[in-house]
Amino acid sequence: MESESPTETKKGKSKTPKKEKESILKQKSPAEFFAENKNIAGFDNPGKCLYTTVRELVENALDSAEAISELPVIEITIEEIVKSKFNSMIGLVDRERVDEELYDDYETAKAREKRLEKEARAQEIQAKNAALGKKVKEHAVSKSSKGRGEASFYRVTCRDNGRGMPHDDIPNMFGRVLSGTKYGLKQTRGKFGLGAKMALIWSKMSTGLPIEISSSMRGQNYLSFCRLDIDIHRNIPHIHLHEKRDNKDKWHGAEIQVVIEGNWTTYRSKILHYMRQMAVITPYAQFLFKFVSDAPDKNVTIKFARRTDVMPPVPVETKHHPSSVDILLIKRLIAETSKQNLMQFLQHEFVNIGKPLAERLIGEMGPEFSPKMAVKSLTDQQIVRIHQLFRQAKFDDPSGDCLSPAGEYNLRLGIIKELHPDMVATYSGSAQVFEGHPFIVEAGVSVGGKDVKQGLNIFRFANRIPLLFEQGGDVVTRTALKRISWNNYKINQTQDKIGVFVSIVSTKIPFKGTGKEYIGDDISEIASAVKSAIQQCCIQLKSKIVKKMQAREQQERKRNLSKYIPDASNAVYNVLQEMAKSHASKKKRYEEGDADILQKVSDHLITKETLYEKLTQHVEKVDYEMALEYATQTGVREEPREDIYLQSLDGKGNFFDFHSPIFVFRLFL
Amino acid sequence: MADKKRRRADSDSDSASQPFKNLLKSDAQILKILKSVTSSSSSSTSKPLTLADLALSATCREVSDLSLSSVQSTIEALVLQLTHQILSGQGFSFTVPSRSSSNQLYVPELDRIVLKDKSTVRPFSHISSVRKTTITAKILSLVHQLCLKNIHVTKRDLFYTDVKLFQDQVQSDAVLDDVSCILGCTRSSLNVIAAEKGVVVGRLIFSDNGDMIDCTKMGMGGKAIPPNIDRVGDMQSDALFILLVEKDAAYIRLAEDRFYNRFPCIIVTAKGQPDVATRLFLKKMKMELKLPVLALVDSDPYGLKILSVYGCGSKNMSYDSANLTTPDIKWLGIRPSDLDKYKIPEQCRLPMTEQDIKTGKDLLEEDFVKKNPGWVEELNLMVKTKQKAEIQALSSFGFQYLSEVYLPLKLQQQDWL
Repeated sequence: MESESPTETKKGKSKTPKKEKESILKQKSPAEFFAENKNIAGFDNPGKCLYTTVRELVENALDSAEAISELPVIEITIEEIVKSKFNSMIGLVDRERVDEELYDDYETAKAREKRLEKEARAQEIQAKNAALGKKVKEHAVSKSSKGRGEASFYRVTCRDNGRGMPHDDIPNMFGRVLSGTKYGLKQTRGKFGLGAKMALIWSKMSTGLPIEISSSMRGQNYLSFCRLDIDIHRNIPHIHLHEKRDNKDKWHGAEIQVVIEGNWTTYRSKILHYMRQMAVITPYAQFLFKFVSDAPDKNVTIKFARRTDVMPPVPVETKHHPSSVDILLIKRLIAETSKQNLMQFLQHEFVNIGKPLAERLIGEMGPEFSPKMAVKSLTDQQIVRIHQLFRQAKFDDPSGDCLSPAGEYNLRLGIIKELHPDMVATYSGSAQVFEGHPFIVEAGVSVGGKDVKQGLNIFRFANRIPLLFEQGGDVVTRTALKRISWNNYKINQTQDKIGVFVSIVSTKIPFKGTGKEYIGDDISEIASAVKSAIQQCCIQLKSKIVKKMQAREQQERKRNLSKYIPDASNAVYNVLQEMAKSHASKKKRYEEGDADILQKVSDHLITKETLYEKLTQHVEKVDYEMALEYATQTGVREEPREDIYLQSLDGKGNFFDFHSPIFVFRLFL
Repeated sequence: MADKKRRRADSDSDSASQPFKNLLKSDAQILKILKSVTSSSSSSTSKPLTLADLALSATCREVSDLSLSSVQSTIEALVLQLTHQILSGQGFSFTVPSRSSSNQLYVPELDRIVLKDKSTVRPFSHISSVRKTTITAKILSLVHQLCLKNIHVTKRDLFYTDVKLFQDQVQSDAVLDDVSCILGCTRSSLNVIAAEKGVVVGRLIFSDNGDMIDCTKMGMGGKAIPPNIDRVGDMQSDALFILLVEKDAAYIRLAEDRFYNRFPCIIVTAKGQPDVATRLFLKKMKMELKLPVLALVDSDPYGLKILSVYGCGSKNMSYDSANLTTPDIKWLGIRPSDLDKYKIPEQCRLPMTEQDIKTGKDLLEEDFVKKNPGWVEELNLMVKTKQKAEIQALSSFGFQYLSEVYLPLKLQQQDWL
């Protein structure tokens, strides 16, 4: 080989290893693929994995409850499991380290010396500061860098009051990646049938522990319990236990428990933000979030109470819009359709194609097409022809009836409930279309509030789930930052506490990138809808703000006017005084009225104080008149009233009724 | 003599690196061309038109120079009127001529911007005007003091008399212009001056407060233009033209090269936007010496804008445009067409920003640009090519290219608009 010409050697060399390695054709199951590329589904690192697991479980729970029009009650618990506890859980004996130097976190003599020196210095400084009476914050015990062995484990439990799952379907719903119930053309939170399964794959990768599911459906007298994990290579469930148990309190819903590696410290705020924003967009749900650990001071319990029982309607499944389909989809629809001929197929499998339009379309397709031809007999070329025509022909836009936006009412309630703003305005746009998919943009803008930082606070929602990551590139962020001139609406972009809430719902949200994290800024239809929605809110706010400013002006008018009286009277009097001097010395002659005034100035009958008093009187008079005018113009105004939501009491407790002619006062015991 | 100079210039630099140098005729020939231009321009000057000539004096407002005593008595009459108002319990108010852009009018016959007759009432007892009203009263009383004592102060001095009230010099300066309008006198008549900004060098002799100044003997930097035009008089010159320069850098180049000795001229700059003193000085030179004025500004919208301020006046001070504007200024360079004509290299040209282009397009809408078809053409070219260049771009052919090739060539070709 070496004796051969260089070009041939190259060829030969590159060929030989290729043959050796690639001769075995491997196949990957979807589960394997996602296990290797778990970042696609938002499982980048342990912290993010914990966050995504919580998120997927909560969203599934909400979908499940909404599917049966039940007001969601969701409990989510994260329990920290320390390593020793974890080991005992899986039946592993804790072993003492024998060969210390074997470990990554072993401290060599040199490093130890260095550390002690550093600590001594720190102590010295602290002592000095203490001597000087400075307030020192507690010096944190220097954390040893976490080696890979120091993983923390969490048991995540999510319990809902949703539809539950049929007993026999449970294994497939959790143990098979890319299988799901949400594949139709419909507005849903989840889409790909990935979420819960990814959590399971992650738990299998990091802890090796199975997932546990309890579920019961309405009216079912038993409770399904299932413990399973997933066979990653074959993408099938591996069932440990699958049994029916008693359902004593007639509970329906699902409880899912999974043990995973995670990182609470770094993702704590993200998870809490997520829960808070979820509470904003779903004020009709009740969330109980708990974090439990061995250290009681780290524990967190937050209850997001329900504030309304008005729920958005369940989104309905819709048919495809002709301009949004591709060749593959047409083929699938043909394979699945129950209709016989082309005419019926067009009429029934797509929206916005009525009988007359279907006839015209078929006429346009060419002589080889006819309304009565069997749809299953269409050739590949003919399908391409249909696809091309769908692309070029004009169709009515799909309606937004199939969408279920959060609704202005809910958005408004959510904002008020979580941010307690001084002012809030909401707007709901009409349905618009992007690539054959209808979408609705709703927006809310709030000013002021508690726990809100100055400047723009942006909250993004897509299909009623909060988006927390990749904020910078998102269409909402960019629009709010660059394309809204807040000044025009009397809002100070840097000083005021502004909350911007934008919720986009669609049958297909055009997410950018791999994760469902943000919507790109390059879709002009969505960008302009977002802009106009925010602007509509701002216009509403502007009139409120202007009224507020006017009211403030009313209150401060007198003070602001009076502030200038001394300067003004001084200025006028100084000139008068000079004039009086020259008048007295007869340098100049003045007309009678003027001479009279100057004489009075010389005789101290008109002084600075005279002018001051006269101006003060005038200001008081003007202020009174203006206040009167303002009052008559505006009348007695009332703030718009808002319904309050009283939570219903469960159980029939003992109570006394106190009767009066006009009301009944009921006291529960 | 001219030959000698020419030989010296040749030995200084290589003609290959300074394009178009070979096109230059001898200085004597250029001088001859210039002389013929100057004599024709000085003979054609006639008495400038006034508002009264156009029967516009009723609808337009104009101020005039008032003597100190008449300023004083106008203020006193006004203050007495205010006192009457205050004593009758009505508060007080000023009627201030509006200086907003909607109240401006470009009169083509006069070739300058004038103020129309709209006025606004500035009452004390209104929340939006109380501040300005108070400041106006304060400035009036300060000017009254100046009249009594017969002294001059700067705008900065005025501001420092009550920093707490004025807050910002911009505010006291703006009210000072309002006061000029109210009293109907020029700002110089108020005895308030701005700090010296403009400089002049070249073939000019004038008296400043009685001292004779020879601007050829003022060193390299030249003579600062006196802020008080009343002090200036007895102008004499053997110059053939006045060269108005936008930038300090180009001015220094020309002054150091003693450009005015090669081609007898007077060189003036206000270092950017012109102040009142420089504009008054230029006007006075033009009127007394009857010389053509040639402008050397940047090839960008702001260069032309500065040119227009000298020529037609600024909107802010249109009430005094009669005194402040110099008619018939020629645009010598750097014009957008020069960029290609003089092969200014790409790296010395700058792309115009969005703002630049917008300013350029706005200028195209202005009447004082429209009246000159040559300017419109140049400006259109600028907006189309989206390129601008500063005077300094010529330095790419050597620092002295401006004074040794570009300007002489321009003069020789009478290339001005």
